[in-house]
Amino acid sequence: MDIKDLLSPTRVEFNLKSRNKEDVVRELVDILYRDGKLYNKQKFIDAVFKRENEFSTGIGMGIAIPHGKDESVKEPAITFGMSKEGIDYKAYDGTLAYLFFLISVPLNSDDMHLKVLSMLSRKLMHDEVREALMKAKSYEEVINAFEK
Amino acid sequence: MKLLAVTSCPTGIAHTFMAAESLEKAAKEMNVDIKVETQGSIGAENAITYDDIKEAHAVIIAADTNVDLQRFKGLPIVQVHAQDAIKDPKSLIMRAMKMEKRDYVNEALEVKAEKKAQLTGAYKHLMTGVSYMIPFVVAGGILIAFSFAFGIHASEQKGSFAAALSQMGNGAFSLMVPILAGYIAYSIADRPGLIPGMVGGLLSTQIGAGFLGGIIVGFASGYLVLLLKKSIKLPKTMEGLMPVLILPLISTFIIGILMVYIIGKPVAAINAGLTSWLKGLTGGNAIILGIILGLMMAFDMGGPLNKAAYTFAVGTIAAGQPSMVMAAVMAAGMTPPLGIFLATIIAKNKFTNEEREAGKAAFFLGISFISEGAIPFAAADPLRVIPSIMLGSAVTGALSMLFRCTLAVPHGGIFVLPIPNAVGGLLLYTVSIIVGTIVTAFAVAGLKKDISKVSVVKSKSKANSL
Repeated sequence: MDIKDLLSPTRVEFNLKSRNKEDVVRELVDILYRDGKLYNKQKFIDAVFKRENEFSTGIGMGIAIPHGKDESVKEPAITFGMSKEGIDYKAYDGTLAYLFFLISVPLNSDDMHLKVLSMLSRKLMHDEVREALMKAKSYEEVINAFEK
Repeated sequence: MKLLAVTSCPTGIAHTFMAAESLEKAAKEMNVDIKVETQGSIGAENAITYDDIKEAHAVIIAADTNVDLQRFKGLPIVQVHAQDAIKDPKSLIMRAMKMEKRDYVNEALEVKAEKKAQLTGAYKHLMTGVSYMIPFVVAGGILIAFSFAFGIHASEQKGSFAAALSQMGNGAFSLMVPILAGYIAYSIADRPGLIPGMVGGLLSTQIGAGFLGGIIVGFASGYLVLLLKKSIKLPKTMEGLMPVLILPLISTFIIGILMVYIIGKPVAAINAGLTSWLKGLTGGNAIILGIILGLMMAFDMGGPLNKAAYTFAVGTIAAGQPSMVMAAVMAAGMTPPLGIFLATIIAKNKFTNEEREAGKAAFFLGISFISEGAIPFAAADPLRVIPSIMLGSAVTGALSMLFRCTLAVPHGGIFVLPIPNAVGGLLLYTVSIIVGTIVTAFAVAGLKKDISKVSVVKSKSKANSL
């Protein structure tokens, strides 16, 4: 199993419309919900914001990874979005976020999925992966970025 | 110079791993040796071992959850949020390297502690199993006791509320040994240990090996899974199969074979042998028979000896006539939990809070002839508790025989005492039970160690469970 299995072409958006943190979470969750990965949209949005209130998942370096672990999730999934203008995601370094990975995990998910997610989180710490992601224009290029 | 780090975040999905990666990456760039344990939603990965701690200079805790720091005793600790490790791993590493390590004396003490802790590691596993088991015993026992309140035969009435209560209680009881064995194995080998442990525990109940069989199978399962984890090597793509398929299947199969063929057969044979041996004793000295029955009732509460004694006793009232044997057996089955209850009252400092609470429940289970109330205590400290309760039960069995008390029903504890003609020699029968209870309590209180001493050992063993 690898990132391809969790991030499908149906959950990739290269032109996010939102301008602020609230909206971008809703926009990403919308994509996830339309793809049939949630039982209850609002409940999952609440879970994500509950996590954000602990502290922002805007990890700086242009990236945010909102995530929620909740019973409203059917199966583990990643939703990817890119914002051309950048969004103030309240990152510690004050920079705007351009890349968004929304991670949704059910309460009980097996280790294989969690391993993939942990791998994704680790890869994002590497400059070359982030640079490749910033340049990505297609689903394939996003996946390929993680091969680096 | 070697550094250690633990990373953890509330959901255990993202920050745990980003923090770990960023520390590892920065350390590599700085040419520093670091080992990072991630406590994410998969559990602890890349776990820090005792050897790591011995070599380490300092520990970085980058976590937003509670991380157990006890095992790092003696090491300087830099404690920050997970995001701090993502933001600025290099300055964290610098800070950790500047910390001063404790002196040599401390270190020598740690090594000593480790040796002691290894001896008591098994105790920690046992206590994990016992503490998970206690609520099952308490809830199940009280439900069964309630069912007696409707009359001693009420639960035999199908569809009655008493029958439902008895069904619930027995449901909890049937999980008791599986939980005990499962969590002993869990403590040893983490989640994969649960499966062979619980299945083995269930088999132990089914083949009549009781909680002692459960303890054996719990340890066997735990160490078997550890061994399998080490010896089975799979290609990386198949690794995901280890915890869900390979380990549970193979370990459960091996434990199953062990229980059914290697332990099951002899247990059945012991049971049959004992029953016929007891029949042979019937004509002999009644008091000696009372002692033997008492010893058997208390030895393994629900195991082969207990079952043989009980089945033998029930056989003596099969035609509905009152029997001295039945009276002795029930009395001897009541004193273990009653004696334990009394011990938790007179020797409070020898029991944990949890045990003292379970002690109160043991009283109700005792008066209801539910010997299982004593099992958590026996399982936690078998070498001291089992001989004590055997002594008390032997005294009670002998007295009941000496006083020629009789009983015409197979169960019920004090609930049958007021029933006309159920008990012969009611006053002296009560005396037998009380005397055995007191003997048990003093034996337990005398043999058990102060809990403060035990808890020191416990905390050390915890430090070793890395």
